[in-house]
Formats: sequence, C-alpha cells, structure tokens
Amino acid sequence: MRHNWTETLVGAVVLLGAAGFLAYLLSVGQVVTGEGRYKVTARFGQVGSLKAGDDVRVAGVRVGQVEKISLDPKTYFAITDLALDANIVLPSDSTAKVTSDGLLGGALIAIEPGGSETNLKPGGQIENTQGAVDLFGLIGQFINKPSPAPAPATDLP
Amino acid sequence: MARAARLSLMSPVAGIGRGVIALTNLVGALTQFTLRALLACVTLPWNTRELGRQVMAIGFYSLPVVGLTAAFTGAALALNIFTGGGRFNAEQIVPQIVALGVTRELAPVLTALILAGRVSATIAAEIGAMRATEQLDAMRTLSTDPFRYLIAPRLLAGVMTIPLLTGVADLIGIAGGLAISASSLGFNPEIYARSTVEFLTLDDVTSGLIKGAVFGFILTLMGCYHGYRSVGGAAGVGRAATQAMVWSGVLIFASDYLLTRLFTAS
Repeated sequence: MRHNWTETLVGAVVLLGAAGFLAYLLSVGQVVTGEGRYKVTARFGQVGSLKAGDDVRVAGVRVGQVEKISLDPKTYFAITDLALDANIVLPSDSTAKVTSDGLLGGALIAIEPGGSETNLKPGGQIENTQGAVDLFGLIGQFINKPSPAPAPATDLP
Repeated sequence: MARAARLSLMSPVAGIGRGVIALTNLVGALTQFTLRALLACVTLPWNTRELGRQVMAIGFYSLPVVGLTAAFTGAALALNIFTGGGRFNAEQIVPQIVALGVTRELAPVLTALILAGRVSATIAAEIGAMRATEQLDAMRTLSTDPFRYLIAPRLLAGVMTIPLLTGVADLIGIAGGLAISASSLGFNPEIYARSTVEFLTLDDVTSGLIKGAVFGFILTLMGCYHGYRSVGGAAGVGRAATQAMVWSGVLIFASDYLLTRLFTAS
C-alpha cells in the first residue's frame, strides 16, 4: 500500500494539533511562579467559587494569579496567596474584591489601586478586601422578605 | 431458492429448523474463526513487518478523517448543548457536557464507525480478493498460515491503534467545542479549557479508550471474517465488504450499549 505524501503530512498535522491542544489543556490553570513575580496575601470572608489558578486583574487587565487558597483556622477567614507580576506595583491601601467574569466566566480577584504613598511589599497583605457575593443568598433574602403591604383578604363566594 | 420457499411453506417446522441450523452454523464458524485468530495473535512468531504496515494503514492514515469527524462533532455538540442549556439558563455547562459526551461516547463510537467504513471494508475486500484469486489456498500450500500472516497482524493493529485514535479524537473533539464556544458563544477559551480539565475524571477517558479497543477488535475481526469466508468471485468480494461494514456497525452499537452499562453501573 503506497500512500501519497500529502496524506502523511495531514496525518502528522492532526497528531501535532492534538498534542498541542493537550499541552494547552494541561498548561491552563498552572500557576507561573518564580522569576518576575512577587507574592502578597489577602484575607476574605468568602471566596465563593474562586480556585487556585484564577486571574488577578487590575482594571480588567491580568496582572497575576491566585496561587493558593487556605483557611485561617482561628478566624475562619480564607487566605489567598496571590502571585503578581513584578513590574506591577500597587499602593498599600488597594482593595481586593472577589468577582466574576460575566455569567459564563469563572471567579477572579479584581484589585482597585488605592492612593497611598507607600506600596505593597512582596509578602505583604492587602488589608481592604471584599469577599464574593453570595447570589443565591441574596435571592433567598429577597424571596423570604415579608411583603410590606399584605394583600387584603377578599371574601370570595 | 423457490424450492426452499415452497418447502418451508409446506412445513413450517422444517423452515424453523433450517433457520436454527443456519444460525448455529454462523455462531460456530465465527467462534472458531475468532479462536483461531486469537491463538495466532497470542503465540509467536509475530509477523512484525505486516503488523507495522497495518498499524500505519489503520492508525496513522486514518488520522485526517478521524480528526475532521471529531472537530465537527465537538463543535456541533457545543452548539446543541448551548441551545438546550439556554432553555433553563444553564449555558455555562457546555464545556463539561461536551467533554463528557466526547470522551465517553462520541469519540470512541464515531471513530469506530468511520473505521468500520474505512478499515473493515478494506480488509474484507483485500482478503476476499485473495480468496477469489485462490491466493489463500496457495498460501496454505506453501505452509504459510493465513491466520498468522494476514489476520493476526490486522487484529492486533486494530486493538492497538483504535484506542490511540480515540484519544486523538477526544482531544480534537474538545478543541472543536472550545473553538466554537470561544468564537461565537461568548466563552473565555481559558476558562472553558480549565472547566474541562477540572471536570473530567480518569474514568471518563479510560472508559472511552477501552471502548475503542473493543471496537477495534470487532471491526477488524468482521473485516477478516467476511473476507476470509467470501464466496463467488468479484461479486463475493463486494458482498464481503458490505457485510463487514454492516456487521461492524451493528456490533459496535450493541457492544457500546453493553460497555456503557458496565462503565456506568455504580
């Protein structure tokens, strides 16, 4: 059975494509650490569906990733370790907020830079935080709230 | 034929008996064939040259068509799930269902069906032509066992390569779903990819690969069996190819159901 070289080529392209996609699948969500990054921590009352590997963004631009999420056993706060790009310097009174990337998106941490003269140092902590909003809790509150003006009872025959 | 029909009309019992005997014959012949083929597969010496050639023919040269099928199927599946999920505001479930559907069901079954057309029919025509031109008998005269020389390499190549093709189809199917979701359904490709990786378990992938191995055995066996048993020259070769394809398809679906029962039983 002799085969055309184009068939061989197309077969090789399919294999390479599959291998490339596998590499891509395995690489997403891997946290890049080491050179060019520094670490800060932030404590949240509620992180919701945030996972290690999620983005950290400033003004919607990705500046780092969530490296680890753990629970403080004393205060029951969630402690997130963030790895930020070294060339991004943030004021020490910046606010970190757990939010979501649209309805189809995952969770992420948005940082709003503050106005302080001093900057966050590597290993420092972001003090101002706002945890994830529990959407279902909000809906539940809204539904269970007693209605202000109960409908007057009507006598039906 | 007319005489047989008249006979069975006159005596329904004889008709039933003839049917049962034919069925028993078929089962017996297939079992005997399978056992001889398996024996040739598990005993040395292997015909490694023919095996290598079959691995290339069945495996490598099927990659383009398998890749195309998987990409389009993954993309169509993503669109369908998006539409269906939208009916109860669950569009975000697309990556998970695409990944599950592709790895557990679509990649192994569609790969096997494509190969039933591509490989099973080719094998049946090849061996059928050898039967028609008495090459099989000539082989036996030269004390070369056709089971060892022709059939075992094809079976082994099928069992080895179709799981690999299924793995490739898994990846390309998911890539197709990702491509359409990112380009026209408003998904972020990275989040889509991560949802897929986090959702899939090892079982989802291995059960699909095991299915691939079973289907590979079925479709190469059907090709070899119908080619080997073909009678009646050129027309017989055509009939053998058609039957190999049809029976591969039917047995693939039937065994797919049984294997799925096995894999989903908790």
